[in-house]
Amino acid sequence: MPCPLVVSHLKKTYHRPGRPPIEAVAGVSFEVQAGECFGLLGPNGAGKSTSMKCISGFYEPTEGHVHILGIDVHRDPRSARRQLGVCAQEDSLDTDFDVEDQMTQFAVYYGIPRKEGRRRAEELLGRFDLLDKRTELVESLSGGMRRRLQVARALINQPKVLVLDEPTTGLDPEARRILWDILVQERRRGLAILLSTHYMEEAERLCDRVAIIHQGKILACDSPEHLIQGQIGTEPVEEEIRPGFRHRRAPNLEDVYLKLTGRSLESDSPGEGTQA
Amino acid sequence: MISLISIFRVWQRYLAVFRKNIVYALVTTFVEPFLYLLSFGFGLGSMIGAVNLDGQAIPYRAFVLAGIVAQTLLFQGFFEAAYGSFIRMYYQKIFQAIAVTPVTLSEVLWGELIWDSSRATLSAGAVLMVGVAIGDFPWLGALAILPFCFFFAMIFAALGLWVAAKSRTIESISYPQYLLVFPMFLFCGVFFPLTNLPVLFQKAAWALPLTPVLSMMRSFTLGAAFDPKALLILILWVAVLVPLARRAMIRRLLA
Repeated sequence: MPCPLVVSHLKKTYHRPGRPPIEAVAGVSFEVQAGECFGLLGPNGAGKSTSMKCISGFYEPTEGHVHILGIDVHRDPRSARRQLGVCAQEDSLDTDFDVEDQMTQFAVYYGIPRKEGRRRAEELLGRFDLLDKRTELVESLSGGMRRRLQVARALINQPKVLVLDEPTTGLDPEARRILWDILVQERRRGLAILLSTHYMEEAERLCDRVAIIHQGKILACDSPEHLIQGQIGTEPVEEEIRPGFRHRRAPNLEDVYLKLTGRSLESDSPGEGTQA
Repeated sequence: MISLISIFRVWQRYLAVFRKNIVYALVTTFVEPFLYLLSFGFGLGSMIGAVNLDGQAIPYRAFVLAGIVAQTLLFQGFFEAAYGSFIRMYYQKIFQAIAVTPVTLSEVLWGELIWDSSRATLSAGAVLMVGVAIGDFPWLGALAILPFCFFFAMIFAALGLWVAAKSRTIESISYPQYLLVFPMFLFCGVFFPLTNLPVLFQKAAWALPLTPVLSMMRSFTLGAAFDPKALLILILWVAVLVPLARRAMIRRLLA
């Protein structure tokens, strides 16, 4: 079987009238194997979302290719996306439908027969602990449930590749943990997961490999442990967490990011500000 | 490559929503034209009597009812596309969600336009049926204009989609609504023969798409003279507005 997801030399440049073009994605390459969880770690504005939108075939890249199970997603989006599930960063649930119809309606776009769509919806809602909400309107769900439903919806076509753009941004710790558990289950089923995040705990906990992305480029790519060991070492890091209070802790991905870019993950770096 | 099946699947989504809220759908689709019919057709019509249309005297009720069919296409087509697609694009982000399934963005937008036109045609069809039932329209003329209704509605839906693509906020849709749609409704000849207006006004009105729609509508339903110019102007409108609206919305979503 060909590799579930291969991204090669992906570039996306925004041309703006009267202003210099922005290179949001500046040549990104990686691949994600079956059962692997691969993370793109970087702050807002690093090029994660643009990369994700190119990978799902929503944006046409300026250069480069994306292959899903060997199919070029931009040349043949119809076939490629049959194998792809996408959970966008923003809430894109169809609020005109209740929870179950949300799922079955999406099955229609994949050409899945009604009966089979209903069967899959029921099975997924069970797995995502949403079955007792099946007749509720989306509006009445909590933020965590909405996000879970959006991930469940992305699996209605039984994809081989799942793309999750900042899946836990804005969720409380409990809702985040539930979603993490679900993702661990899904990769055990052989799903290749690509996830973007600016939470280093999320990247460390979920991802087999993490690519550190900054100004549209991947600066380093390895397992979280190797990244930390290679860039920082194993010595505890001391930092002042409150005025006058110094704390020693194990090094983490945030330290790696800081070392590689000179910036922290919390910093907001839109295109222009980072050119210096 | 556009796939008709994909477009149909998008269209089915709209139909599913329509059927789900069937009471809302029926009220918003059918009530408005009947209010106009009661008020203008029966109310005002009993005072006015007949209007002169190409030399023949037409009862005002029939005259205005043909106008209401056209107005229904304008309102249903424009409002569903303008407000509806703005909500779907901006708040629900459902265009974006569907456009990462095997359905492409281009197909999503065709589905939107075809649905908006279908719904407007359904609504206009109901008014036409009433016209036939009360003896104001010949059934053959009413039936013959129905496919054209879909084509007319497409112009107004494309106008709505273009407005949605160009509007920064949902409030700013009010500008074209008050400055273009309402003037069309009031001055293109829904309620009175266009010839009542000064010649300059008439010429300006012919530049707007509702005037040729009204002209064709009254040719088919009331036996007014058919002016081929009307059809030509409408073909031009469709050929310009549909690609313009689709391109604007695609640009907005991909920016």
